[in-house]
Amino acid sequence: MKRPLSQVTKIVLVALALSAFGLLRAPWEDAIRDDLVENQLLLPPPAESAIEQMSQSALMGTLGGLRTLVSTFLVLEGFDHFSLKDWEELRNTYQIVTSLEPRDENHWRDIVWHLGINATANMELDKSLPEFERKRRFQQYALEAIDFAERGIQQVPESAIIRQQLAEVYREKLKDNCKTAEVYGDLIGLPGAPEYVRRFHGYFLARCPGREQEAYDYLMALFREGPSQHLPTLIKEIQKLEELLEIPSPERIRAVPRQSPAQRRASKNTLPGGIVIP
Amino acid sequence: MSEELAVEVKNLTKVFPTGLRKEYVVAVDNLSFEVKAGEVYGLIGPNGSGKSTTMKVVLGLMAPSKGTSTVFGYESGDIQARNEIGFLPENPYFYKHLSGAETLKFYGKLCGLRGSELKDRIADLLQLVDLEDAAKRRLGGYSKGMLQRIGLAQTLIQNPRLVILDEPTAGVDPVGSRQIRDLILRLKEDGYTVFLCSHLLEQVQEVCDRVGIIFKGRMRREGPLEELIRIEDQTELTLKGASPELLEQVRNLIESDGSAELVEEGHPRTTLERLFIRIAGQKENQKESA
Amino acid sequence: MNESASPLQSPARRVAAFSLSRISTIAMSTVTQLVRMKTFYFLLAFALLLFAVGNFNFASSPAQALSTLKKVSFGAMDLFAWLFAIVATALLIPRDIEDRTLYTILSKPVRRIEYLLGKLGGVLIVIAISLAVMFVICSFMIIWQQLGYIAAEYDTRDIRTEQEILASVTLIENAGFRGELIYAAYASFLKSAVVASVTILLSTFASSSLFTIIISILVFLVGHAHTMATNFWLQETDNSLVVQMVLKVVKILIPNFQLFSFSEGIVQGASVASGVLLQMSGITAAYLFVFLLISLISFGDKEF
Repeated sequence: MKRPLSQVTKIVLVALALSAFGLLRAPWEDAIRDDLVENQLLLPPPAESAIEQMSQSALMGTLGGLRTLVSTFLVLEGFDHFSLKDWEELRNTYQIVTSLEPRDENHWRDIVWHLGINATANMELDKSLPEFERKRRFQQYALEAIDFAERGIQQVPESAIIRQQLAEVYREKLKDNCKTAEVYGDLIGLPGAPEYVRRFHGYFLARCPGREQEAYDYLMALFREGPSQHLPTLIKEIQKLEELLEIPSPERIRAVPRQSPAQRRASKNTLPGGIVIP
Repeated sequence: MSEELAVEVKNLTKVFPTGLRKEYVVAVDNLSFEVKAGEVYGLIGPNGSGKSTTMKVVLGLMAPSKGTSTVFGYESGDIQARNEIGFLPENPYFYKHLSGAETLKFYGKLCGLRGSELKDRIADLLQLVDLEDAAKRRLGGYSKGMLQRIGLAQTLIQNPRLVILDEPTAGVDPVGSRQIRDLILRLKEDGYTVFLCSHLLEQVQEVCDRVGIIFKGRMRREGPLEELIRIEDQTELTLKGASPELLEQVRNLIESDGSAELVEEGHPRTTLERLFIRIAGQKENQKESA
Repeated sequence: MNESASPLQSPARRVAAFSLSRISTIAMSTVTQLVRMKTFYFLLAFALLLFAVGNFNFASSPAQALSTLKKVSFGAMDLFAWLFAIVATALLIPRDIEDRTLYTILSKPVRRIEYLLGKLGGVLIVIAISLAVMFVICSFMIIWQQLGYIAAEYDTRDIRTEQEILASVTLIENAGFRGELIYAAYASFLKSAVVASVTILLSTFASSSLFTIIISILVFLVGHAHTMATNFWLQETDNSLVVQMVLKVVKILIPNFQLFSFSEGIVQGASVASGVLLQMSGITAAYLFVFLLISLISFGDKEF
């Protein structure tokens, strides 16, 4: 057996060997990392703002490759804030969650739903606050929901569910028909977008002042696609527009509406104007 | 006994650094000895005298600071040298999760044994160390003596020419100790070379052909056991059934000789160890006959 | 003893300089050891965790419930794999030294690299088996939940059109089980292999298991952060030269564990090309090879 090297010599040798290996692998690893990020297999590091907000344990977990576990735990925590109607905390939690998993459209959709629908509804009902404060907060939560939705769409441009949720906020809470129509319009053709968004785009365009003609043309094009589109609401909307735009009667439609199963039962899901929400 | 050398240690010195400063402890100091093939060689000395260090150098677990060590001509630590050695460390702890038979299988496979050859070898060794009944029991449930015996079986698994035993009976009760001693004698009969370390002189006395006495890292005396312990100018007579008259005549004869002197007279005593084993043996016999 | 055992005049047969069979003997013994240490009881806890998550209904949609189930399962698998790699590796080798079992092994014709490879192999086999079992458990859970959700969608036939139901089912299926998930488990395996090799290297220097475990975990954490650190600090110009140097040294000395987190992307639905898998396998092999060789600098002539 050869005489052993001293501990110091060994440490120097190990450091040298590690450095040599490190220098060799660094370019290779950087290339792989870029490749992984490009293919959405690897997430970019969480934003600095999110890191500042994270508790130490959450940060350690995140850095230790437990990103998804940490975010799942935070979602649970968010659910807790939701049950306690603690909207500020809920928003802060989702700030981190969406930063940890920016590619998960569910998180974006959830926070838009929480702030845009639940928090605003709570402000409509919460009698403990003075009227003006409730109104102020209603606006604030709705705008924050829109902000989340826009950031989510930036991260997941092909997401249908974030846009559906955003459309609901515009439609139900802010009653902004033009914006609602715009979002439904964006939804058309996205993977996973439901069929009804094509009709809804038209319905809300019809309610957007100044765009009635555009809405009429659009809905007529849908109508001409065939009997599958001859739904009662569509026909009713076209007929309303025909009246409004004073379309000459030979050009007006004469069709028997097709009854969809949804329409047979879902009287509760009907919007003013007879639009049925699936 | 052939003249081939099983172990040859030449001018071995081993120093250990202590602390951060350049201070050293000399564990073994210019030690030289040889173990001939086929003999039982005992390295004896008190705790801390350098026995285990010497042994580790021979095994290749440590490198000498100076000097050399070879096993059957191979440098210590060489994989071929290790193939010639079976080693039983002091207080061996094998994997507690393995049974006796599994332990032997594990070490056998490490030595390249396979199939029926390994199976037969395991059966033979379990029989040799009298652990056939405990073969399937996990080592966690073995007594100290049983562990030592399975350890001995493990040293023999690849049928090495040299068996190195470090304090083979340390902590083992007298019955177990006797069994191990008998096994060592058996190994000697079968032609194994045995190199053992011990601080129990009596044990070494019973099995070794040659001993080396090491103290503070240096070899103090070395040679065949008989030579080392013989008191050259004294003679011992042991008589059975001698009458007082006969004894008187002997005493007179001695007195009449000018140069001789009677140093001691009395009844020979058995050793405490022998007595214990005899009593234990009798108890066993009584139980069996009952 | 029979005749084959004696007499002993002839030299022993020559032994191979390097033997896969010796490595596999040590590896299998390590597997037995870990199994008999009741390691696999963890799998029971894993199954219970998944069952709890699967039945805890906080998600706003079936797709999200499935996504959460997947994230928790694969997160737990990943956590188990790397933590087990560190703890098992850090415990087993020092224990062999302490119990002197190592003396008896190294006094047999076994090379030290074979011993290290065997230990590493054993730990990795146990991790591979555990990951495979966990993968089967979680696949079963996901598919079971998925089928339940799809059946529930079809139960709404009365109030929804066929098209709408199909759209919902597609959403559920996209969030549910897919074969590619097995690569997420594979990613965790690769990560744990690299972690184990780092731990082996550290344990050849360290004097205690606790020290090895703590330092390994630290290296692991830093190994995840250093890409981030690079992004944040290396590009800032107002950092002192010392900070820049330290960051560069860290980047060179510590493995980039972040690369191995590509399982997260797979769980979230990204698809993985075979080229990526090959590259990652290659880089893992390089880590194992180099780290084991470096371990030998310390372990090769270590005195016991």
